[in-house]
Amino acid sequence: VDYVRSVDYLMYGLICVVLAPPAAVFRTLQWDTDPSALQLQADSELGRRMHRLGASKIVQIDFVPKELVTYTKETQTPSAAHQSEEEEEDEESSELKASPQTDQPEEEGEAEDSKEAHPRELTEEEREQILHSEDFLVFFERSVSVVERALAEEGDIFFDYSGRDLEDKEGDMQGGSNLSFNRVFHDDHWSKHRVVTCLDWSPQYPELMVASYNSNEDAPHEPDGIALVWNMKFKKTTPEYTFHCQSSVMSVGQIVLWDNRSHRRTPVQRTPLSAAAHTHPVYCVNVVGTQNANNLITVSTDGKMCSWSLDMLSQPQESMELVYNKSKPVAVTGMAFPAGDVNNYVVGSEEGMVYSASRHGSKAGIAEMFEGHQGPVTGISCHNAVGTVDFSHLFITSSFDWTVKLWSIKHNKPLYSFEDNADYVYDVSWSPVHPALFASVDGMGRLDLWNLNNDTEVPTASVTIEGACALNRVRWASGGREVAVGDSEGRVWIYDVGELAVPHPEDWSHFARTLVEIRANRGDGEEEGAVELPA
Amino acid sequence: RYCCSPATITVLHAFVFVSCQTAFVVDEVSTIIKESVEGAIGGNAYQHSRVNQWTTNVVEQSLSQLSKLGKPFKYIVTCVIMQKNGAGLQTASSCFWDNTTDGSCTVRWENKSMYCIVSVFGLAI
Repeated sequence: VDYVRSVDYLMYGLICVVLAPPAAVFRTLQWDTDPSALQLQADSELGRRMHRLGASKIVQIDFVPKELVTYTKETQTPSAAHQSEEEEEDEESSELKASPQTDQPEEEGEAEDSKEAHPRELTEEEREQILHSEDFLVFFERSVSVVERALAEEGDIFFDYSGRDLEDKEGDMQGGSNLSFNRVFHDDHWSKHRVVTCLDWSPQYPELMVASYNSNEDAPHEPDGIALVWNMKFKKTTPEYTFHCQSSVMSVGQIVLWDNRSHRRTPVQRTPLSAAAHTHPVYCVNVVGTQNANNLITVSTDGKMCSWSLDMLSQPQESMELVYNKSKPVAVTGMAFPAGDVNNYVVGSEEGMVYSASRHGSKAGIAEMFEGHQGPVTGISCHNAVGTVDFSHLFITSSFDWTVKLWSIKHNKPLYSFEDNADYVYDVSWSPVHPALFASVDGMGRLDLWNLNNDTEVPTASVTIEGACALNRVRWASGGREVAVGDSEGRVWIYDVGELAVPHPEDWSHFARTLVEIRANRGDGEEEGAVELPA
Repeated sequence: RYCCSPATITVLHAFVFVSCQTAFVVDEVSTIIKESVEGAIGGNAYQHSRVNQWTTNVVEQSLSQLSKLGKPFKYIVTCVIMQKNGAGLQTASSCFWDNTTDGSCTVRWENKSMYCIVSVFGLAI
């Protein structure tokens, strides 16, 4: 019993006893005055106390970890057959710059090391042997290429102007016209009856571009897929290099790599057809990264994205299924990376949706869906002109639904829809230098240049290419002054873009204002909250 | 009819008054903790050689201040110091006690190089 502080005699015979131990905890005991029933009811006190016990709230601590994105780059020593390629350290194709020291291919030169002091007549057998030897072929090819160029240049005064207009290459052309025809690349042997599937300009040599073609139905014994490298600088009409491979390029799900340094026409590396790589047609290929640390990213129509190291194509470095909302894979038809980004990208799909995705990080895979097109997305291009204002969140898409749409990564509905076309729009591409300029091509043979600072309703410049049926691909040259267009007949048309293509410093702020106007005119607030790509 | 004598009322008032003095007051405890932490590691960067000393200091200082409150409580004090290295940390705790008289208080403190988490549980005697 603790210290009794006071006792009070209450009515009804109850005594209230107040206890006050030094710790100042109060307990109240109630005694019944009837002596026979005089018992401490404190025992039930414990029971009551036990019943007062309960669980408290859960206290939690949560410190979020810092996300470390890591990459691994593996290289695999290739098998012996490729050792010869490894020995060439100089990446530049020195053949292009080799001084033409021979006027004529000297077949007799090979025979100099014969026993006779003076050259003798070669036998037929020896001749054949030399003509087919590897060294000779290399030499011959190189010389032929140089001679062809020389011949083409010298023939300037006898130049045949039909179909070609090459003189006005510098400065202003023909009274300020915006789109003027430059030349067409077409090879009767190789590119006839083949559809141009892809175009790209060389980052190292701005005058070089490569075009890939799919199979030639008329010539089944020819290789299925070819890629031709065309040179803009010289006027010769044949491709610089020709590459071919067995399967139609961009049709079966393999990646093949041709090395310009080697003198073989067949691929030096190819990826295997395996479940780890692609089993469906590969529609998009992109090289991202810097010169030294780069990856080849490929996406196929079954929604699989693989990242490859160019040193080792035997298996992908990483692969990922692009699935939206954990349900169905995305059938990808186009892919684009924003300028300077190697992690986040956007893809267009067959259903007409556009998705944003990331390669690495906690949110790797499909992030957001952008709705707007009513037909398969045929082309997608991210803004990449660098200037005073950052527009890298913008991208444009083209689709079978006759429209080109402008999007921002931050909103999952289009910012603007360009509806000037009357046929499937097959491809679209931002200018690399002008912030408000992009090109689009459609199935009626039309090439349009849109300058959004000028007009957003109609293209600023437009040309219908005569003799072309449907235009498949459009790509800007790295300087932004020329556009290459590929068509369904295997021709590559080069067009010069005039003053329109030259950006002025105020074009960036003008475009920012244009964007604000576009957003303001979007009307019935279709925004569904800012949707941001993980950084 | 129930009639209370004045003495009773005084007693009852005293009861209520004193019980306030003996409950677990979260704010009061929180202030004590923050002062202890600040005094022990405020302005320092994480150093592995000194962390042990710091945790001990925090706990001792907190406990001594809490006992100086003179309240009828048993106290349990824990202190965690974690270097900021990019790792994540998740903890949870719960108690089965008398919710009316017992209480706990958790203080999270951080600077550029470390986190410090101090938890105090007070159980009424």
